[in-house]
Amino acid sequence: MISCKELHVTFNRGLPTEKLALRGIDLTIPQGEFVTVIGSNGAGKSTLLNTIAGDINSTKGQILFGDRDVTKLPATGRTADIARVFQDPLAGTCGDLTVEENMALAYGRGQRGRLSSALNSKMRKVFREQLSRLNLGLENRLESEMGLLSGGQRQSVSLLMSALQPSTILLLDEHTAALDPKTAALIMDITSQIIAEKQLTVMMVTHSMRQALDHGSRTIMLHEGKIIFDLAGEKRAGYEVKDLLNLFAQAKSDGEELDDDKLLLGA
Amino acid sequence: MSLFSFLGTLEIGLIYGLVAIGVYLTFRILDFPDLTVDGSFTLGAAVTATLIVMGVNVFLATLAGTIAAACAGLVTAWLNLRFDILHLLASILTMTALYTINLRVMGKPNVALIMEPTILTPFEGMFGLPDMYMRVIFVAVCAIAGGLLVAWFLRTQYGLAMRAVGSNKRMAQANGIVVKQKVYAGLALSNGLVGLAGALFAQTNGFADSTMGIGTIVVGLAAVIIGQSLFASRSMYVIVLSCIVGSVLYRLAVSMALNADFLGFSASDLNLITAVLVALALIFPKLRNEWKAKQAARKEA
Repeated sequence: MISCKELHVTFNRGLPTEKLALRGIDLTIPQGEFVTVIGSNGAGKSTLLNTIAGDINSTKGQILFGDRDVTKLPATGRTADIARVFQDPLAGTCGDLTVEENMALAYGRGQRGRLSSALNSKMRKVFREQLSRLNLGLENRLESEMGLLSGGQRQSVSLLMSALQPSTILLLDEHTAALDPKTAALIMDITSQIIAEKQLTVMMVTHSMRQALDHGSRTIMLHEGKIIFDLAGEKRAGYEVKDLLNLFAQAKSDGEELDDDKLLLGA
Repeated sequence: MSLFSFLGTLEIGLIYGLVAIGVYLTFRILDFPDLTVDGSFTLGAAVTATLIVMGVNVFLATLAGTIAAACAGLVTAWLNLRFDILHLLASILTMTALYTINLRVMGKPNVALIMEPTILTPFEGMFGLPDMYMRVIFVAVCAIAGGLLVAWFLRTQYGLAMRAVGSNKRMAQANGIVVKQKVYAGLALSNGLVGLAGALFAQTNGFADSTMGIGTIVVGLAAVIIGQSLFASRSMYVIVLSCIVGSVLYRLAVSMALNADFLGFSASDLNLITAVLVALALIFPKLRNEWKAKQAARKEA
């Protein structure tokens, strides 16, 4: 379970470039719930995810995993609970290391770096099994350099890596945005499989309203660092992309025009 | 080249093999260009030589020199990690400070070890070998043992984490690796190896001098580049040992250039020769690839 209480994040505090990225997020995600997060550019979606992951320190407020307060815990201290997949396919893996070395790093996530061999035959067997789920033939390329794989392949491996260790929370930051439609669909498929298998609590940031409605059981929209609506259950089931757009227009208090191309195109 | 000068070249090449491994760790593994080594090579030599003159056991003195140099690496890492000083600049600051510190450690510009016991003394006359062979064997064992240890280390969980930090910090962090800790460890290990090389150099050559470290970084880089352009491999053992081979080849090339009478070089031309050799080692892989591409194109046509 993730709870955010009155979460505030301010960048460059006290400087002329000060930016209020999050202004009071109150959010509770029960164990096993899959929440999709939408919002225009600069709404604070990625900031929220990065704050929960611990990359960004909150200025005010509290973050709890279950009933454990992790607000002051650095990112590395939260990795036993959190697995992540980034938007940039190059960000989730090391291009200089081989496929198996990358997977070994994820396999050891949340453990202390030990002076035992980083790879062994038991791990290789697990890696091969996992990679064969992708049907990309990567199970035969364990010793290939990651940098030689395509963006889609690298993202697929990142996704598998996120599930190598038991964790309770999965954070997906537009993880299909940089891929072609076919690969994106494949990745989304495997994502759903993994989530179902492991009963994970998931937050998925997406720019596509279609994707936001098709996946998960709850959708929240951020605008200027606040949650402007929170949709779940039967009400959500009846929703279409155009309803979301209407809701968005209504919810915006100042009534400015919806001018974000990406948001419209993503629909 | 006489046998005597060949063995001398081999000996220095092997000692600088340890420097090359240290440079490989910072430049290639951690992506942290570290110029501290110019100072930490001398620091290793200065601390060891001073302690030996004071009558301390040679092995303890060598260990002390190594640890002192490792601490110098920690200072550079601290300046970079704690205060966000650019890595290159942080290392230049430490290197500059070390010049004074080395003079202070020795109390004078150089310390002679000619009449003192050294780490070589216990091995003298072993197996009935003449001294000059024994010295080469001793430093070869040191360099190769150091190389094997580092290669083994880089294949452990901890070592793999260090490689991930150099390759992709964000990914490393997302996988629970404490980035700063790995940078500290890497710089300490790298400078420790360089300090050990300095300590061995002082004892095999019979002196420590405040200027002996100048250009260490270039020599180390030259060795890494020559080694890697000759042996393309993914195996950590091959990569690390190729640093030692690169270092020996570099010394042989310099020595041959200086000894070839028709070239007319003198000892003071060393830096030009070094620069040309490094440039050649950098140019060679690119030309080789271009040539291979041309060959392939010709085949298709």
